Amino acid sequence: MILRDIFDKMKPNFSKDGRFEKLSSTFEAFESFAFTPNTVTGGKVGGGYKGSHIRDAVDLKRTIITVVIALLPALLFGMWNIGHQTAISYSLDWGFWHQLWFGFLRMLPIIIVSYVVGLGIEFLFAEIRHEEVSEGFIGTGLIISMIVPVTVPLWQLALAVAFAVVIGKEVFGGSGYNFLNPALVARAFLFFSYPSHMSGDSVWVATPFHFAGDAVTGATPLGQLMAGQPLQASALDMFIGTIPGSTCETSVVAILLGALLLLATGIASWRIMLSVVLGGGLMGLLFNAIGANEYMQVPFYYHFLMGGFAFGCVFMATDPVTAAQTNCGKWIYGFLIGAFAVLLRVLNPAYPEGMMLAILLMNCFAPLIDHCVVARNIKRRQKRWATAERRTA
Amino acid sequence: MNTTIIKKGLDICIPGTAERRVSDMRLTGCFAVKPTDYVGVKPRLLVAEGDPVLAGTPLFEDKSNAAARFTSPVSGTVKAIARGDKRALLAVVVEADSEQKSVQFQTSASTADGMRKTMIESGLWTLLRQRPFGIIPQADANPKAVFISAFDSSPLPVDIPFMLNGREQDFQAGIDILHTIAGTVHLSLQGGKDNGFLEKVQNAEIHHFQGPHPAGLTGTQIARIDPINKGETVWTVNAQDVATIGQLFSTGHYCPQRMVALCGPVVGNSQYYRTLSGASVEELTKQTTFNELSEPLSDFRLISGNVLSGTAIAKDGFLSTECDKVSIIPEGNYYDFMGWLRPNFRKFSFSRTFLSGFFKRKAESGKRKAFEFTFDTGKHGSDRPLFVTGEFEKLVPLDIYPMQLIKACIIGDIELMENLGIYEVEPEDLSLCEFADTSKTEIQAIIRNGLEKIRKELGL
Repeated sequence: MILRDIFDKMKPNFSKDGRFEKLSSTFEAFESFAFTPNTVTGGKVGGGYKGSHIRDAVDLKRTIITVVIALLPALLFGMWNIGHQTAISYSLDWGFWHQLWFGFLRMLPIIIVSYVVGLGIEFLFAEIRHEEVSEGFIGTGLIISMIVPVTVPLWQLALAVAFAVVIGKEVFGGSGYNFLNPALVARAFLFFSYPSHMSGDSVWVATPFHFAGDAVTGATPLGQLMAGQPLQASALDMFIGTIPGSTCETSVVAILLGALLLLATGIASWRIMLSVVLGGGLMGLLFNAIGANEYMQVPFYYHFLMGGFAFGCVFMATDPVTAAQTNCGKWIYGFLIGAFAVLLRVLNPAYPEGMMLAILLMNCFAPLIDHCVVARNIKRRQKRWATAERRTA
Repeated sequence: MNTTIIKKGLDICIPGTAERRVSDMRLTGCFAVKPTDYVGVKPRLLVAEGDPVLAGTPLFEDKSNAAARFTSPVSGTVKAIARGDKRALLAVVVEADSEQKSVQFQTSASTADGMRKTMIESGLWTLLRQRPFGIIPQADANPKAVFISAFDSSPLPVDIPFMLNGREQDFQAGIDILHTIAGTVHLSLQGGKDNGFLEKVQNAEIHHFQGPHPAGLTGTQIARIDPINKGETVWTVNAQDVATIGQLFSTGHYCPQRMVALCGPVVGNSQYYRTLSGASVEELTKQTTFNELSEPLSDFRLISGNVLSGTAIAKDGFLSTECDKVSIIPEGNYYDFMGWLRPNFRKFSFSRTFLSGFFKRKAESGKRKAFEFTFDTGKHGSDRPLFVTGEFEKLVPLDIYPMQLIKACIIGDIELMENLGIYEVEPEDLSLCEFADTSKTEIQAIIRNGLEKIRKELGL
């Protein structure tokens, strides 16, 4: 194969004592992107190795690419919806393809900035540490671009991505060692640093190119409820996703398609997804029962349809690195995310959306939940030891 | 008949299981005893190159355990003493004489102490394994029980009842000896299968296990029958070695007979061979026809034991102790273009990220043979931190948290390891985790390091 020959010819330059030794991680990243490495179990062909000689065909690249594929329906819908919202707000007579094309042009810089900044930092850290570049950011970078308002200033986005990758991940050792979901760290950074660009009514609809007048406002359902206004969107609109909101998280249908893939392939934990929905639903029902104000009276299932609940539930709560790791812990972790998300939405006067904060909060508590779950196993074992000791004594 | 059903686990169906056909090997060529097969043995050499030895003559002993004397499986001449880094002893190789002579051992002992003495002198003692740590027990060790598994659930399974055909009386005699020395003996058989004479073995508690691998591992069986508590020890013995023990006590001769299967996808005539422990694998592969390897495969690997926890041996190497089969699989040292992206029907994955994953259940149950998976030694990916959660829990039928235990071993926290159940596992019990792990971590080596750290701390 020609491509293989090219890599083989270049490889000596990038290995130890080669001309470009400093770029070895970068070379490895591109090489292993094109070809699954030829390493064998035990490190070398031949005798001596004791262990598992065969390995599963799955690797982290395969896992991450599955997540990216699962994100595609929401991404495509989001692009179309950007054009759709603009067309509605500015009373433009755009067809389907025009709307999609407009959304694509609007999304492209966001995705590029997210990937270039994030992967740039990842490559830099990998070179400094003499490690391989982890593919984790391929998923994270796309997710970040999907959960920001379409009007986000690109320099703010770049700052947020840099903050998320460095402070949210690399200081702990890189992908796999972080305790907060990096995509949500980026969003939280934007949210708290530049609140005027992240919430309110004027950030959700992109202005058409070459447009000179004032921006048109388009309130999200959560924003309307927050302000005590009646909901304009119907449940069906919110389910399909033809409402203003962050770039790609409005369509529950598209997100469910992704969820189906994640569950079918077993990449994401069904326990977490189910328990987030249960937690959110029960909290919603509780508020329905109290019914003290209009927000509490919103039907409980509306919470699944509004804001980032569905997206967070499917793509961010289920991040295996930052979620609880034990099966029992996953139930508790997911349930509390759902419950806190609805609680924050309804009772917190400061922020309209609670999902981001609920997941970040539970990210912090996930190790504690696991600790308690494992402690039960330890206690059971120690009890068995004690009984055995009594028996022999 | 009570059968314990094991639900968690995975049967990896590699083509090339051995057919029930046996060839007797002539006892020619070289045989080796390797200290590297054992955990924690510090060998002291007792012979020199060129020395004549009989079957049963000690070749080396363990400096840290006086009970561990390693004896020659054949009579002949010491041909080579193989050494590795820092002159560490790797193997003592004995070239067999055409006529076999044996040391005559005292077998009239009827007390447990007398039997122990005979076992130690003849080298039979080194066939015992003590859990935790998988070491050879001390001379005065008193285990809680002895566990024997006559059920191989690992990939390319061998038929242990078939392998014991003709050794019925020796096997029963071996059980009797172990029963006298150690007390309770647990024999685990495969449920839902005809186990022949093994069902009627005396002086042992018979258990039946059914389910996917690791249902046949003693670690799984111990956990269900009588789990190991802190401070307790149990012994495990390979089923064929039980017959070897019985045989010595009836004849007085040390003759570590072994039925070994040569199997795997590249073997044309997968079958059994009757030889002795430590036999040269070259003698066996001479009898074998190999299938042509197709591109991009170019070489194959010989594994003494199963593909999940066995030891790779050179093509002119020797069988390890405890080995029931030699698994032969292709080396996977080739590049796979866009391997992470293509749907791929031929690659086997426990996850369902490959299209083949959706069909594997059917392929396993034999209803559908549309997908024959290819297996090789390729890692199929790069090393990463432990990333994905939840997959190990589906593969380990023990009451432990595998991920947490592995992490405790990595950080070397002895108290945490103890609390998380390290005493209940040997590396092989987590071999399926190592297989399925997305991050390609060498989990069995990590578990062994954890166990060794504790063993050294305890001064065993």
